[in-house]
Amino acid sequence: MNVRRIAVAVLAAAVAIALLAVSGIAFGHSPRELLSILISGSVGSNFALQGTLLKSIPLLLTGLSVVIAFRAGVWNIGGEGQFLAGALGAFLAARYGMIAAIAASLLAGAIWASIASAMRLWRNAPEVLTTILLNFIAIHLLGYAVNGPLQEASGKYPQSDAIPIAAMLPTLGASELHAGIILAIVAAIAAWFLLYRTAEGLRLRASGFNRNAAKWAGINVDAQLVRAMAISGAMAGLAGGIELLGVTHRLFERFAAGYGYAGIAVALLAQLHPLGTLASAFFFGALTTGAGELQRTAGISSTVATFGQAIVILVMIVFTRSVRSAGVSPAGVAASRRHGRAEES
Amino acid sequence: MRLSHITKSFGANKAVDDVTLDFKPGEIVGLVGENGAGKTTLMSIAAGELAPDEGAIEDRESVGIVHQHFLLVNEFTIAENLALSMWGRDPAEVIRDSGIDLRGFHRRVADLSVGEKSKLELIKAIAGRPRFLILDEPTSVLAPAEARELFDVMRRLAADGVTVIFISHKIPEVLEVATRIVVMRRGRIIVDGGAMSAEQLAEAMVEKRSPQTERRRPAGWTAGGSPALKRNELEVHRGEIVSIIGVAGNGQSELAANLRDTLRGHVAHIPEDRARDGLIAEMTIAENIALAEPRWNPRAAARRAAELIERFDIRAQSPLQRAGSLSGGNQQKVILARELERQPEIIVAAEPTRGLDIEATRFVHDELRVAAARGAAILLITSDLDEAFTLGDAIHVIYRGALSARLTPGEAAERAPVLMAGIGA
Repeated sequence: MNVRRIAVAVLAAAVAIALLAVSGIAFGHSPRELLSILISGSVGSNFALQGTLLKSIPLLLTGLSVVIAFRAGVWNIGGEGQFLAGALGAFLAARYGMIAAIAASLLAGAIWASIASAMRLWRNAPEVLTTILLNFIAIHLLGYAVNGPLQEASGKYPQSDAIPIAAMLPTLGASELHAGIILAIVAAIAAWFLLYRTAEGLRLRASGFNRNAAKWAGINVDAQLVRAMAISGAMAGLAGGIELLGVTHRLFERFAAGYGYAGIAVALLAQLHPLGTLASAFFFGALTTGAGELQRTAGISSTVATFGQAIVILVMIVFTRSVRSAGVSPAGVAASRRHGRAEES
Repeated sequence: MRLSHITKSFGANKAVDDVTLDFKPGEIVGLVGENGAGKTTLMSIAAGELAPDEGAIEDRESVGIVHQHFLLVNEFTIAENLALSMWGRDPAEVIRDSGIDLRGFHRRVADLSVGEKSKLELIKAIAGRPRFLILDEPTSVLAPAEARELFDVMRRLAADGVTVIFISHKIPEVLEVATRIVVMRRGRIIVDGGAMSAEQLAEAMVEKRSPQTERRRPAGWTAGGSPALKRNELEVHRGEIVSIIGVAGNGQSELAANLRDTLRGHVAHIPEDRARDGLIAEMTIAENIALAEPRWNPRAAARRAAELIERFDIRAQSPLQRAGSLSGGNQQKVILARELERQPEIIVAAEPTRGLDIEATRFVHDELRVAAARGAAILLITSDLDEAFTLGDAIHVIYRGALSARLTPGEAAERAPVLMAGIGA
């Protein structure tokens, strides 16, 4: 069972890489050449590997965010907005130090996500829609902030001033890598522990698989929804906070850069398993840095990384049942409830 | 049209057992019987929707059928719904020809009353000019005036030579409109005839059960005291099993859901719809059993599940087997194991043996008896009258959401048919 799931994930990754390499023919490069650039540009040197790990950190956290939500049957597509909310929260709290900034990013992400769960409980608004819409609001809110109240003192670019040095995440040794990687790995282990070693996690997963049966077994499914959404949002928020505190040190437009959406690909490739997310975040991190190298040396746009993500998602959806059922259940139940069918009693 | 020696089984259950019926043009046949008597199955066979295992339909005619549940597209208008089954015909004309009063065919079905929806279903069925029209519980959602209107339509069709089959639980209506009454019980025809009194019909419909004579009481059991479960006229004391019986759809599911949402304390629930509400199919047996536990430890849960598999004789390979891969009866045993092992003070069991074989049914009954003997208050909501009488210390009949007075099994055996059919008080 587990072997099969891992095999499917490896297959999906391999198919994505193979298609990417073959697509190079269109640009006049041999697949073998592209493949070697991708590999050397992502894991081929110490420098490349550091770049890959740096990219993996936010991917790991947004991936975990999606894992927790989908496991609970909550269709949170709002990683992007929660990522931005977390970064904004961290920025505002940065003057009180690093710990305060990290806490603020968790909280801000959780609150942003909870707007969607509040609307779900209050008016049964499907979170698959509300979370996406909240992304747009967050993007424009950040855009306004860096062009207005939070713009740098010199007023030159649409970006904020840098955060105080005391709030920045320390780097590890002489590398570019920052301490956020430790936080992210701890978060992955914590998410695994929550889902598979606590009674709360058991109930969360039960609610995700079958809301009705969970309810009859005495589980408060609404509470599970609220909790899962908040934890999921906190993870995405932490991703944004760490990116700010460890890498960019300032806010600017397009800060999220697709990390929130990429989290869906990370989670699906990980078969919605928190520890699998470690490997899949690394894979997508490598894909992203490798694609950067492709752009520099072969002149192929680095957006091919998104192409790779899409291939992976498609392969995973076609070959794994858990992903398919996770995909239809929450939205399906919401839709039928709106039409007054007695799906839930 | 003639149904000749029709037999149809689902698994071990003979839904229709060697039924032969002759229909004449212009008849209105009232087809009545308890739940699961085989009425709907027989009519699905007549309509050609189900193939019989044995027997044949002779002189088959064009059949129209109105199902118990609406088969309409809510987002479409009346006209659009009609167009789905008769493309190209003018909806206004179709409605006019049917002689049924349904106005505003540009209204969306979602905005119609249930009465209007059932009219639309009827229009759909008779627009194809069938010679044989089956109406499955058409009046269950209708107001009396609407039912009257429906009867006029039925009589008019019959006058045109159509054979109308009217499936119903409502004895007064059957007596009012039917020219011939067929009573089914356990897949067989019990009565086929004309005029009869309401009491005769009720008795023919619902088999008399002899009340159970002895039941072991738990040690130290005493009558009276304050009930463990109390809802209006419903009272269940410790050590007691109270059965709720009635025709399906009279509020049993709502009662169970209400008790699930409102009862506090040490309560076990056995849900009616096992496939939807019973187990988390994707999770293991161990996980399912541990769902309501305060703590979760995979190893301890697996050990505990292994014990329960042994004790409840669940046919499973391992506690780590997916619950969804078990057979229906074994799934039910897992639910029982989970719910009863918590030593609940109150047990609400809805249809606990539906679809189980004899051995599994006996097992479930024994478990419920043991729980009662231990002192649990048990509410048994069931459509299986044998079960209700075998286990129940007291019986309520539920009809249109209201419970009858508390009856002793002896009283219930006498009065259940009439109360279930909603005639007389």
